[in-house]
Amino acid sequence: MTALTAIRREETAPEVTRELNGILHLLTCGSVDDGKSTLIGRLLWDASDLYDDQRETISRSSNAATGGAHPDFSLLVDGLVAEREQGITIDIAWRYFDTETRRFVIIDSPGHEQYTRNMASGASHADVAIMLVDARHGVKRQTRRHAGILDIVGVKRVILAVNKMDLVDWSQERFRAIEADFRELTLRFGFREAVTIPVSAVGGDNVARRSEHMPWYTGPHLLEHLERIPSRDITARGSFRMPVQTVLRDGLDFRGLAGTVSSGCICVGDRVTDALSGQSAHVLRIATMGRDLEIASQGQAVALQLDADIDVARGAVLSTPDAPPSVAMQLEARIVWLWETPFDPRAGYLLRTATDLAPITSLEIKALLDLETLAVQPAKAASVNDIALIGITLGRPMAVDPFAVNPATGCFLIVDAVTGASVAGGVILSAKASGETHAASTFQLTRELLERGLNSDLGGSDADRREFQRRASEVALLLHAAGVPVKIEI
Amino acid sequence: MTAPLSHLDLLEAEAIYIFREAAAQFRKPVLLYSIGKDSTVLLHLARKAFWPQKPPFPLLHIDTTWKFKDMIAFRDKTMRELGLELIVHVNEEGLKRGINPYDHSPSVYTDVMKTQPLKQALDKYGFDAAFGGARRDEEGSRAKERVFSFRSPGHRWDPRRQRPEMWNLLNGRLGAGETVRIFPLSNWTERDVWRYILREKLDVVPLYFAARRPTITRNGQLLVVDDARLPLQPREKPQMKHVRFRTLGCWPLTAAVPSTATDIESVVAETLGARTSERQGRLIDHDQAGAMERKKQEGYF
Repeated sequence: MTALTAIRREETAPEVTRELNGILHLLTCGSVDDGKSTLIGRLLWDASDLYDDQRETISRSSNAATGGAHPDFSLLVDGLVAEREQGITIDIAWRYFDTETRRFVIIDSPGHEQYTRNMASGASHADVAIMLVDARHGVKRQTRRHAGILDIVGVKRVILAVNKMDLVDWSQERFRAIEADFRELTLRFGFREAVTIPVSAVGGDNVARRSEHMPWYTGPHLLEHLERIPSRDITARGSFRMPVQTVLRDGLDFRGLAGTVSSGCICVGDRVTDALSGQSAHVLRIATMGRDLEIASQGQAVALQLDADIDVARGAVLSTPDAPPSVAMQLEARIVWLWETPFDPRAGYLLRTATDLAPITSLEIKALLDLETLAVQPAKAASVNDIALIGITLGRPMAVDPFAVNPATGCFLIVDAVTGASVAGGVILSAKASGETHAASTFQLTRELLERGLNSDLGGSDADRREFQRRASEVALLLHAAGVPVKIEI
Repeated sequence: MTAPLSHLDLLEAEAIYIFREAAAQFRKPVLLYSIGKDSTVLLHLARKAFWPQKPPFPLLHIDTTWKFKDMIAFRDKTMRELGLELIVHVNEEGLKRGINPYDHSPSVYTDVMKTQPLKQALDKYGFDAAFGGARRDEEGSRAKERVFSFRSPGHRWDPRRQRPEMWNLLNGRLGAGETVRIFPLSNWTERDVWRYILREKLDVVPLYFAARRPTITRNGQLLVVDDARLPLQPREKPQMKHVRFRTLGCWPLTAAVPSTATDIESVVAETLGARTSERQGRLIDHDQAGAMERKKQEGYF
């Protein structure tokens, strides 16, 4: 890096080095008819540093779509050719813009019912959601469905943007009625904050500037409200969790447990535990390339060197000894079925948590949730876009938390063992160790059994241990597919 | 308590997380290294992710043979200094057929000299995962990319068959014949890349800094003539101009911008105040509507 250092000046303009204070992930949901793409486009147009060529493209292509009355802001958003042709948003699109102090990530998700899964996956990344309704139509069944999805995947703050206020003559009465409907709706969910804002995306009213047409509205405009929302790392507190991704060595005496702190924080000298093995040790060093840290908190990627060589590998979740995650064999969970292929009781499925992957030996669909009525219907099957309550039995214990207590270690994907597809995403409602004894017919897949034959070629290296686990999982899946209840004891 | 993390801290940590997940989940990954600023940041993050080890995968450069000489020199110096393993792959077949960036349309050239050799190299070495520096802010179809982007046999990208990604969970289990492209910089913007280069004091190819270079103007774009291979029109007399590049590719397809930014601070300042997006300078993307989407479906990064 000598060449650069040589030409580097001592003083650097402050705006050049400026780093933004956190990132706010913002989901937008609603249908094209409600003017969602236009609202996002307007937000980008008014509030962000769009490049001239982007502005020019939008201005140029506006005439056909809007009769030339105004730029077609939605063109800033709809990306794929297939989508432009059909005039709909199929997939999630990611947009970025900065204000003075903050990075905004807009996650644009489709609103139609057949894209519930896309919305759920988009929402899982969001800190706040803007739900959009047309002022002429108000809160609809779809709004209720969206609120339900947001609640399930853990979005805590919602904004109802009542759009097209210009088409109801900027009527306060109309707005207040919708606001009341929305309040009633949100009370049924666990949102921390729900606000309602009257806007006109086409005219930019209350999007990034105060509307002159609605003097009766005294609350913040949309961007103003968004800028006031605290960043994730400020709001998040909780017990220390670090899912171990890999073990790093320097060939000498350094053995670092590498991972990203998913909640809470840890200091040098603190005691940490691996709940799966029950082993503990003190943190000797929090290492990163370039410098060591005294403390690592949520969101930081580090490597922890411990003072004792405890047997911890990928898949472990480090915690403090006083507040460990559950070591679970059985889970109660809510899932969104994401894949076109419906649930098949004979198929082999795996459970993926942040860094662990274990075979599911029993997956039982218990009920489906009707998001519009919130009614629970007993069911045995689930297919794409369904929200289901399920029970899972794992082939071996995994370290997890209830999602409501610790989202990062309380969420999972269900993976099809053959195609690899992520067939469902879920949140853990409760977890327990296998309290009840398994039926006598449950096959115990033990380490000894595997070492004797299938795994006799494997030694003690990290790679071999991973391979051992992998083969054990595959065998369990095959046995499960053949109808044999199985439990891995390794 | 410590100070809240800045957006660059968060982006860095996210990329490290992605690198570590991919290295743990895939059998044989490779890092696609294209020498430019994004690759520079990508490589730096890979080193951070596995420090004190070296990244547990080789680097792959798809050489079209039309890269700027300064790029190749920078590439070789970087590999030497960091002691990394680099695989250079050229589509010899395309070279023999004389496919070049001025006689052939950008889409044909890109397919033969970039997309095909990328697929050849991935197949030849049996890589099941390839890291790339693509960012969602680059272009419309990129805005919908996943972090783990699955490719069916033949390396085809089907935007409608991508796996949903939820929370921070990355599912790398491959189906038969599938491979994956991994984008640790998905959520970075061009401005973030430059701010990070400045913050981490990373060395970049000198072409990003303004200097007097021999240029011609063609189709309203400034081209720097890097060697004698490009046939010039009679009125195209190379003139020395103070220019630099915002984005680097094959030299006959990469437009320069007039600039006086000769150091990293002024380059970053210029980028933060830029009025046009960087892809303006990439001639291949203007070829046809939805060009990137089509290229991606055919297996382009």
